Amino acid sequence: MTADASALRRVGPALGFGDERHLQAHQWLVEEAYLLDAQRYEHWLALVTDDVRYLMPVRVTTALGAGFDCAPGMAHFDEDKYSLGRRVARFQTEHAWTEDPPSRLRHHVTNVRTFATDDPDHLVADSAVLLYRSRGDVREAALLSAGREDLLRRSADGWRLARRTILVDDSVLRTQNLAIFL
Amino acid sequence: MTDLDTVLSDVRRGMIPAHIYNDEEIFRLERERLFGRAWIFVGHESEVPQPGDYVVRRVLEDSFIIVRGEDGQVRALFNMCLHRGMQVCRAEMGNASHFRCPYHGWSYRNDGRLAGLPFHADAYGGEAGFPRKGQALLPAPALDTCNGLIFVSLAPDSPPLADYLGDFRFYLDYYTRQSAGGIELRGPQRWRIKANWKIGAENFAGDMYHTPQTHTSVVEIGLFREPKAAKRKDGTTYWAGNGGGTTYKLPPGDLEERLRYVGYPEPMIESMKSCWSAEQRDVIGRDGFMISAASVFPNLSLVHNWPKVGDSDRVLPFVSIRTWQPVAPDETEVLSWFAVDAQAPEEFKSLSYKGYLMCFGSTGMFEQDDVENWVSLTSTAAGSMARRLLLNSRMGLLGDGTPVSPVLASAEFAGPGEARVGYGEYNQRHLLSRWADYLERPLSGKEVRA
Repeated sequence: MTADASALRRVGPALGFGDERHLQAHQWLVEEAYLLDAQRYEHWLALVTDDVRYLMPVRVTTALGAGFDCAPGMAHFDEDKYSLGRRVARFQTEHAWTEDPPSRLRHHVTNVRTFATDDPDHLVADSAVLLYRSRGDVREAALLSAGREDLLRRSADGWRLARRTILVDDSVLRTQNLAIFL
Repeated sequence: MTDLDTVLSDVRRGMIPAHIYNDEEIFRLERERLFGRAWIFVGHESEVPQPGDYVVRRVLEDSFIIVRGEDGQVRALFNMCLHRGMQVCRAEMGNASHFRCPYHGWSYRNDGRLAGLPFHADAYGGEAGFPRKGQALLPAPALDTCNGLIFVSLAPDSPPLADYLGDFRFYLDYYTRQSAGGIELRGPQRWRIKANWKIGAENFAGDMYHTPQTHTSVVEIGLFREPKAAKRKDGTTYWAGNGGGTTYKLPPGDLEERLRYVGYPEPMIESMKSCWSAEQRDVIGRDGFMISAASVFPNLSLVHNWPKVGDSDRVLPFVSIRTWQPVAPDETEVLSWFAVDAQAPEEFKSLSYKGYLMCFGSTGMFEQDDVENWVSLTSTAAGSMARRLLLNSRMGLLGDGTPVSPVLASAEFAGPGEARVGYGEYNQRHLLSRWADYLERPLSGKEVRA
């Protein structure tokens, strides 16, 4: 069994950009972005571990020195495999109106840094993501900018997402809902 | 704009001029005549438990610091420095003994009183030039609470909140007084939707009819124990005082069995039994109705539901409170809180929170489809064709105004107000009739000066 994903932390400086582990993590994130753009969520779900924690806290504006910038005890997403699975299953029905017709999505992933952990089968990857979401022909497109910290776990079939924390850069989201994944 | 009297009389007969959902002139009247007068929900006492704790909330453009003073009292202070009008608090939550204006450094105690200003003697000649005594951040003209819910009104002569809410308080207890400890709020999630604020309020007040269509998908994925969303029609809508809502019909059983059926654990059932009146217990235990969504006029909504929160048949209830805060005729900021009984077991709190996230709020699988509809409606309501269309909101009425389903007798529904079984737009009409009552009344000279 693997180490407790919730306890694993980055160790040491960012891996060099030529490091094989960094290259693999970066490629994983880019491949994932294409899946999310295409809303191929059943494929995406297969890339997350059974013990995944997928967290997107609610950001708040606080005074410098307040010591926190997320709403205590509240998130936009606070998911496990079950709830992610229900969300994905819903998109597979013919009645998830909010994405029928689907949005045009583009996940721009950049600023990728990879870190080793104490466990050779786990890497921490930081990235920035900018999601462009366009619906219909009347509304302004929505933008969501966020930083992500991921924990990737090595499996026999390649890397899997074991933990993701999404720090969105808005306190008040300017999109009609989060019927997307970041 | 079309003649206001015509608009209001159409609304009152349940034929809604479509443009009221995206109209600058209507919005201007709403700002002045409705949001300038009504009680508006801004937060809950549990959000500011300690002296100095504050959150910043708006009533339309007006920013208020909701803060607990050193004396323990919760106040709503207009967030504008008395000197040059800067916001004295630019964070949205935190703890502070004082608020200091960043512009010239005037500072205020957390009860609003002016504590000091730089160079008072040199610049103003001291107390002789500018007496500090009695200077304070403007308080909200009226502030009142019910079950810890904090409301403000911009009208100083507002009726007491209890009178304003009226018999809706009976139903409010189901959401916000499940034990003597009351509720605690987490959040809010905040996001902006390009939809008119009234649509959400109407939907939560009484739209059971949309559930089988809009929310088909959440039933299909097995999020609920009931296999058919059409079950909705067996529930009731009720309107009481200044709010109304919807209920589900539960399977046979007594109070304890029915509370257990929706997933409440034994200690919470005991608390509810001791907190609620005989009539409040009877609505569930005798009549078999469990509260679902509701709205308090004008823009506060509540919801209670009981999804499966894990991969088993176990269901668990959650409560959410939200406001539809108007930004523009075609834009609303939603503030959506998770609420839970403060004395609930910790395991219940964490699972209930999970249920909330899956169903409502920025990521909620119900809410996602609702908002898609409301955005679409709002954008279409802006044009000239929408001025020629009266939306039929007369469900539940025959042509001559006779209701399709009768008001339940007190032996069938123990709660106050008017309750009816099945689909109908009674509550939406109640809500918009109140809206019309406010909009038709111009500000008096006294109100203008206030």
